[in-house]
Amino acid sequence: MKGDFGCPIAIGYDAIQQKTATLETMIAALNGAVDDISKAMRLHRVWVALAREDIGDQHRRTTLGPLWLLVNYVALMGTFVFVFQPAGNDAAGYSAYVAIGLLVWFYLTEIISLSVSLFQREESFIEGTTLPLFVYVMRMALQSIIRAGYAIAGCIVILLLSGSALNAAWLWSLAGLFMILLATPAVITVFAFLGAFFPDSEFIVGNMMRVGMFFTPVFWVYNGQDGVQKYAYHWNPFTYFLEIVRVPIISGELPMHAFAVTGIISLAVWAIALLLLGRYRKQVVFLI
Amino acid sequence: MVSIKLHNISLVYRLHEKVTLSAPDRRVAGPGGRIEGSGRKQFVQALDGISFELKAGDRLGLVGPNGAGKTTLLKVLYGIYEPSGGSIAIEGKVDALFNINIGFRREATGRRNIVLRGLISGWTESEIEEKMEEIIAFSELGDFIDLPFKSYSQGMAARLAFSMATSLDPEILLMDEWIGAGDASFQDKAKRRMDELAEKAGIIVLASHNESLIESVCTKKLTLKSGQVESLTTKPIKRSRTEKTVLSRPR
Repeated sequence: MKGDFGCPIAIGYDAIQQKTATLETMIAALNGAVDDISKAMRLHRVWVALAREDIGDQHRRTTLGPLWLLVNYVALMGTFVFVFQPAGNDAAGYSAYVAIGLLVWFYLTEIISLSVSLFQREESFIEGTTLPLFVYVMRMALQSIIRAGYAIAGCIVILLLSGSALNAAWLWSLAGLFMILLATPAVITVFAFLGAFFPDSEFIVGNMMRVGMFFTPVFWVYNGQDGVQKYAYHWNPFTYFLEIVRVPIISGELPMHAFAVTGIISLAVWAIALLLLGRYRKQVVFLI
Repeated sequence: MVSIKLHNISLVYRLHEKVTLSAPDRRVAGPGGRIEGSGRKQFVQALDGISFELKAGDRLGLVGPNGAGKTTLLKVLYGIYEPSGGSIAIEGKVDALFNINIGFRREATGRRNIVLRGLISGWTESEIEEKMEEIIAFSELGDFIDLPFKSYSQGMAARLAFSMATSLDPEILLMDEWIGAGDASFQDKAKRRMDELAEKAGIIVLASHNESLIESVCTKKLTLKSGQVESLTTKPIKRSRTEKTVLSRPR
């Protein structure tokens, strides 16, 4: 390890110097983030092992083990279909709609709600090891993906039982899921930093996600009606994350607009995540 | 060549007043040191002007009252805290024992914990497998190695942690008050292993309040006070006579 450390004081003599300094800071931050991520990727055995241990620990004393994740998903899905099935709709179609909606929504809720307290949960590791921060991000991402895997198994069974035939459109849904997976580490990083700087956000975000379920077309269907649902559908970013997975299977169409919006949101979140990781990764140890 | 060179290292961090809806919390988190400034701009001067050099075979004991900066300095050497000023050059593979519970999973067996801890320290699976029996033998845990970590006493956990940290021949070993948990016979065994490590041209930095431990293990003693070097004592290997050098604090 080698290094000269100093407290640089940027004094902007004019606007150009200020812009140059800002650009240099951003480039340095991006380099730092890339360094952290590449180190974490080389240590993939660490976060894979820890994520598997996490899942095992959560269900170690139970009879069903991680299968409880599948039971939870099916039970909630059944309850929503039983309670909210609109009059006149066919039960099978609505079941498929809710099955996919809940799958994506629960995944998004889990990664956002849990990531706010990520660095606090990893405090002993952060204060005692030199592991890159992105290791903790990937540990949580993999944990959430494993948990979602059980729900996906339940979802596929429900889709087949509801009469949705396997066809080429499912590949677009698979691409939608893949896109969500790509955005996952960035989302976790951004909310983890939010939680480190603003501890109250753990409860604010938790409450917002609980309320957000009712403002997102998880179990209600938007058919072009006016009112709150119109705005909740169009101006809610979560809508598009749901639609890229749901629309191809439910209607057989390719939701280009939803894919485009999801792509732009994901890129923006990745940009913020890289800047936060590069700029503040060494400060986190003093914040938790 | 294994070496540590620190020149005028300082560590200053701002006390972040977290944006919160709750009443202001005046407690100070993080490492010790002096608090400077007032109001919203408060800074902790955790380390100030620390300079020293260690070469192969040196065993440095860090002493000082609580909050003097011993653990903070160890964490700077390990790379957890990035210094605010000065320069640092470390040659050699560094391993550290700060807290015996870090990296251990309570539900997993000792054997599984060796694998996890090894991965965290950057070992490969084959390196861990090669050293497994040696680590278990040195820790003297016997059949307990296949029981969950939560069934271990503090002493057993310390033995396992020390055994692992020293088994892959770290060139530089940093330790923070680890030894208190082990029994007398294990402490003797641990001292012998540290001697072996230092003789193999390694460097040991040990922070402790236990003066007799520092005297028996270390060849140099650095006394810290409020984040500054108060004195650096160098002792001949034979430990017959103590030569004391008081360093002037760099400004």
